[in-house]
Amino acid sequence: MASTRHVPFRLLKAGRHALRTRQYSSARVSDDCDIVIVGGGPAGLALASALGSSAASNRLRIVLVEGGDLSKVHGWSLDSDVYSNRVSSLTNASQSFLRDIGAWSHVEESRTCPMEDMEVWDGVSDARISFHASDVPTTGSTEGQQMARLTENLNLQRGLLRHLKTHPEIELIDKTKVESIIRDEEEGQWPLVKLANDRILRTRLLIGADGFNSPVRSYARIPSYGWSYNTQAIVATMFHSPPSLYQNSLHTTAYQRFLPTGPIAFLPLSPTASSLVWSINPPELAQALVASASQNPSVLASMINAAFRLPTVSLKYLYDVVMDARTKGVAIDGEAITKEIRWREESHGIDGNSTYASSSTQLSQGMPSLDAASLPPLVTSIQPGTVASFPLKYNHAETYLGEGLGARTVLVGDAAHTVHPLAGQGLNQGLADVECLSKCIAEAVANGGDVGSYTALLPYAQERYIANHTIMSAVDKLHKLYSTEFEPVVWARSVGLEVLNELDVVKSAIMATAGAHSSKTTNSADAAAGINNGWSVVAKGFESYASTVKAARMASQGAVGLIGGGLEGIGRIITNLSK
Amino acid sequence: MQSILRNYIRRHATAATRQNSSVNASEISFFSKLSSQWWDEHGEFAFLHRMNPIRMQFIHEKVREMDWEDGATSEEKISRRSALDGLKVLDIGCGGGLLSESLARQGARTLGIDASEANIAIATLHSQADPNFRVSSASPSPSNLSYRQISAESLLAESGPEQYDVVCSMEVLEHVDNPADFLNSCAQLVKPGGHLFLSTIARTPLAYFLTIFTAETLLRKVTPGTHTYSKFVNPGELVEYFQNYPTSLTSKATTTEAEVRGMIYAPLRAKWHLASRTASLWGGDLVNGCNYLFWVRKPNVSPSQ
Ligand SMILES: Cc1cc2nc3c(=O)[nH]c(=O)nc-3n(C[C@H](O)[C@H](O)[C@H](O)COP(=O)(O)OP(=O)(O)OC[C@H]3O[C@@H](n4cnc5c(N)ncnc54)[C@H](O)[C@@H]3O)c2cc1C
Ligand SMILES: C[S@@+](CC[C@H](N)C(=O)[O-])C[C@H]1O[C@@H](n2cnc3c(N)ncnc32)[C@H](O)[C@@H]1O
Repeated sequence: MASTRHVPFRLLKAGRHALRTRQYSSARVSDDCDIVIVGGGPAGLALASALGSSAASNRLRIVLVEGGDLSKVHGWSLDSDVYSNRVSSLTNASQSFLRDIGAWSHVEESRTCPMEDMEVWDGVSDARISFHASDVPTTGSTEGQQMARLTENLNLQRGLLRHLKTHPEIELIDKTKVESIIRDEEEGQWPLVKLANDRILRTRLLIGADGFNSPVRSYARIPSYGWSYNTQAIVATMFHSPPSLYQNSLHTTAYQRFLPTGPIAFLPLSPTASSLVWSINPPELAQALVASASQNPSVLASMINAAFRLPTVSLKYLYDVVMDARTKGVAIDGEAITKEIRWREESHGIDGNSTYASSSTQLSQGMPSLDAASLPPLVTSIQPGTVASFPLKYNHAETYLGEGLGARTVLVGDAAHTVHPLAGQGLNQGLADVECLSKCIAEAVANGGDVGSYTALLPYAQERYIANHTIMSAVDKLHKLYSTEFEPVVWARSVGLEVLNELDVVKSAIMATAGAHSSKTTNSADAAAGINNGWSVVAKGFESYASTVKAARMASQGAVGLIGGGLEGIGRIITNLSK
Repeated sequence: MQSILRNYIRRHATAATRQNSSVNASEISFFSKLSSQWWDEHGEFAFLHRMNPIRMQFIHEKVREMDWEDGATSEEKISRRSALDGLKVLDIGCGGGLLSESLARQGARTLGIDASEANIAIATLHSQADPNFRVSSASPSPSNLSYRQISAESLLAESGPEQYDVVCSMEVLEHVDNPADFLNSCAQLVKPGGHLFLSTIARTPLAYFLTIFTAETLLRKVTPGTHTYSKFVNPGELVEYFQNYPTSLTSKATTTEAEVRGMIYAPLRAKWHLASRTASLWGGDLVNGCNYLFWVRKPNVSPSQ
């Protein structure tokens, strides 16, 4: 640095490369870097982008290493009417961060879809909560009324790569795995990152954006605490007819029904396409459904429609049919399953013209029923090749910063935490990590600090650990409460008793507006308080419909007697006796 | 290795003391014993690590502010990566080099000096592991960070006065004998128009409570014996010293040319803050009553004129 101080920037970079290679023990050569990011998933690419757009990149040598082929992501392209099956809801906070670093303009916005409303209901009691974009606290921004934007992960990753093309000073190494990480025992104990092509990177700071099985986390000996949900999530792109003429012609409502087997979510992408995330316990059932879909995609379409509409007793019967076919190794007859569903609807007294009738042939023709907005449109087909499933787990690293022998390491994104997707927060948390970490790094650089030092990184860990923990435990508790059919629990969650605090946290995370996370200057306690402040505005969105007279009676007693004043401030309970 | 260092120090420290009025032998041997701890961010010197960002922020702010006041519109100054870029900077009592490394990363041509040989050894070793400072055979020019075991007085005697654009001496004043002589040496080494930065602990009951009682006795975060209450210097004493400085280090515009800023520690966040500029110099006991930063600028015209 000293020697090249007055050399113009471009020359300086080139010069530094030459200088920075040095002989390492046993005649190997190591390359000196300031920051090595392992992992080119959404978190790693966003971090590289954020660093690239900050002044820090002029003074640091930054390298990103990814095992996969990034040119495939960069060249990713699909027709406008088909969609990738991995979709995430980006909160307004995430979008505003991406805009700030100049990456959002590289994301193809026409392929994204605003989410303006969200309908969430209990598969057992039918108690329902509606989230509306109009409840989002307005910050005078121009984002309009949306609570999040559904974006294909690949669209985001491609946008980040396009943005990185404008920052050639950040070196991207792809199709190259990190094979091992050791300590430089000779000098300073800095991490030495050995790549599959035998190159060795000696780095001041090693960032693990390397996903759930993070090799960086192992190197840093950071224990991780968690469990498997014994659940697989099925994802797929679904086609359907547009919402009826009488509604807002855009399809901007997300739907999620909590079933005892796990939540099923319907996320809008366009007026005629949506993304599925269906979490299923046991995983064998998910696998059987995926297998049936590979033989006959219409079976999955029928099952999805049924899963949003039929009572759980009937769903259980349908699951048995699917499992049975799987065990016997036979294909499921699509016709037969449709008939079965129709028969079950009739016996549950569901009118064939109601939105609740999954086998309805009218679709969008004729008068829309009054309850149309409360259910997703009927799935007519599944986009070929989009059915896949992922195991779900809860995991939180004990700390985000390596210490002692694992010093000069930090974790972001799924390497630090994985959470159930029911609140769509995993990727958003990763982006919030990245925003905070990149600010810490920029601040350290501005003060001449060592960006690999514990002191420089501590504010990141302090801010993000608590914020992530708050969201993760709320999501986990919601998942647990909703996977039971145990009557008192069902009742309590239907009237909002059990889940109120968790809903607060989740809802404010989903509706996080620009600047809601990050801002290094707020401490964690303030941030936690902020979550609750943002929430009060949303109170009027809390409406709980208890579906049975029994539940309704309990609910009204509950509202007056048990929770009374407490609930008044938070939401109102509407007991709907007519249904 | 500790005992070798210690013996080495004992010899050197006593030798040094003879010519160096400010060097307190027991202080130096004390810091030498702890020398291996300098870069342990969780250890003995964790507080100094955490203080470093705001010390740098203060130095940076003041130097840049004066650049602008001097009408630095020239491209040269604007295009520099930091206000310190290219400046000749001396860090007196550099210890393990916590501040020296940061100064050098900002582009300052930095010399760190300390009375303790062991500290200089650790500082040098640490900088050699960092490519920012490593002197490599492939590199055409030397690093902009170097260290020497020498006292401020000896350096002054050796190089003569008015050598440095910026002289820093952080958390040293409370450890020296004859603080007036020490300050005099520091001040003389500053070029006309240059800056002197000091940080130290004020001699107030609060300072005693926070530093000695809490840190040393209660928390055992700092080895007992690190601080001696009688050595703490108050901000008022510092300002007075420079107001009466024989060669008039401060120009007529005394108020703008010297500044005291308190440093406040937020224990919950384990972070230091710079007190606001408006915090009163005399009244704000809580603010200036403990650790504080001091800045003074040498008049541009040489006193001999
Ligand atoms: C079904 C499902 C639905 C979801 N829905 C949402 C949603 O709606 N909203 C939301 O916010 N989140 C959602 N998530 C979570 C989100 O997908 C993840 O949080 C996010 O993808 C994690 O990104 P990442 O970059 O941290 O990790 P990853 O995407 O796992 O990236 C890690 C990268 O590191 C690379 N790597 C690993 N090891 C090495 C090595 N040794 N050498 C080189 N490279 C290596 C890998 O190749 C990979 O590219 C969902 C998750 C699931 C499973
Ligand atoms: C508390 S430490 C501060 C170190 C460093 N300036 C920092 O803040 O990170 C005090 C240092 O001053 C050194 N020291 C004490 N008296 C000195 C003197 N008279 N001349 C030079 N150094 C001295 C000690 O050896 C020790 O390293």
